[in-house]
Amino acid sequence: MIEVNVSKRLHTAEGPMDLVFSGTIEEGEFTTLFGPSGAGKTTLLRMVAGLTTPDSGTIVVDGQPWFDSARRINLSPRRRSIGMVFQDYALFPNLTVAENIGLALPKQQRSAIVSELLEVAGLQELAGRKPDKLSGGQRQRVALARALALKPTILLLDEPLSALDLQMRLKLQDELQRLHQRYQPTTLLVSHDLSEVFRLSRRVFVLDKGKVTRSGSPTEVFSQSKISNKFRFNGEVVHIKPSGVVYIVHVLVGQDIVQVIASEREMTTLKVGKRVLIASKAFNPLIMPLDE
Amino acid sequence: MNSIPGTIAAIDTDGNLSLVDIEVSSDFRMSALIVETPEHCPWLKTGHKTKILFKETEVSIARNLSGQISLRNRFTATIAAIRSSGMLAEITLDSAGHQVISIITNRSAQKMELKTGEQVEWLVKANEVSLTGS
Repeated sequence: MIEVNVSKRLHTAEGPMDLVFSGTIEEGEFTTLFGPSGAGKTTLLRMVAGLTTPDSGTIVVDGQPWFDSARRINLSPRRRSIGMVFQDYALFPNLTVAENIGLALPKQQRSAIVSELLEVAGLQELAGRKPDKLSGGQRQRVALARALALKPTILLLDEPLSALDLQMRLKLQDELQRLHQRYQPTTLLVSHDLSEVFRLSRRVFVLDKGKVTRSGSPTEVFSQSKISNKFRFNGEVVHIKPSGVVYIVHVLVGQDIVQVIASEREMTTLKVGKRVLIASKAFNPLIMPLDE
Repeated sequence: MNSIPGTIAAIDTDGNLSLVDIEVSSDFRMSALIVETPEHCPWLKTGHKTKILFKETEVSIARNLSGQISLRNRFTATIAAIRSSGMLAEITLDSAGHQVISIITNRSAQKMELKTGEQVEWLVKANEVSLTGS
């Protein structure tokens, strides 16, 4: 469990801003810090990592103080059990994929852990390649495998997928989810992509101008509609096709794409990438058993 | 999506289902059949404000309708605009000051010879009507 109670004055382009955060993240939970750029998300992540020092407060991980301003405790990043992945890949260009993943591991365990991670992350074929021979998605997979190599207590992800195209992003979201389920590190993700929040995290803190404005499960935080419908889903608009006086809106719900008819008037609020609630009456769907 | 504001006037509950009457204005009442009960839904109470939501494609249009029909959501309106392209037609209606849109097949619209300014009736089944609280 991570208990964070910190504050820090930041100097932004719009003047000073006080970043104040107080929150608990359960062991093994996948939590997102969501908000516009400049809200303080990355600074908060850096504080947990030990790369930025809070002005005051405490950071306690599994009962151990990593930071305590009153007791003058401030563990260096090396002494904090963390794995990090950033938007830019930060791989060593002169090392192969396998060497990058195994770099920080003790010699006697190295080959066993590296070969497991290569297998789990689907990187076996690429083990001997250098980073410049990899695609963006492959590099982030290597960065993720490297971050998990030391079995960290906390995995810190700072917009790791934001530089990738939609298709690769969806694929890596699945991969990230799978790796999280397998190794279950307590994970803190910085993201401003709403669909990523829904697909990956159990809990979300919404940050704005240095303060938490809302927190809870993604559905609690973002679907505040008090609609009566019992047949409803969250999804993301992936494609819109005009058809006469109506539009056929393709919505990605979980792994499936469903299609919804929308009117001209509704198109003013819809566009590709928009997160939407789709609802129907419970009286409406046909239900039939599948062949087994 | 059609959206009309109203006030909950009556609720008839049976098990997990409720038949809700909503007053839009003194002579304009709609019914919604929903899978929800006042016991579990804080805003589902007589006197509370609500929005009545229903899909354009669930709105039927009639002229000189006679005989018996099970639908109780049945209202007169004036056709304010007609837009058609390909298979479908979008009929914009003015119903007691509220805009209601119906999307029907172009075939039906042409067969009925619908014209702007004309008076018609529009109908929607209560089980196609959703409510949202405020």
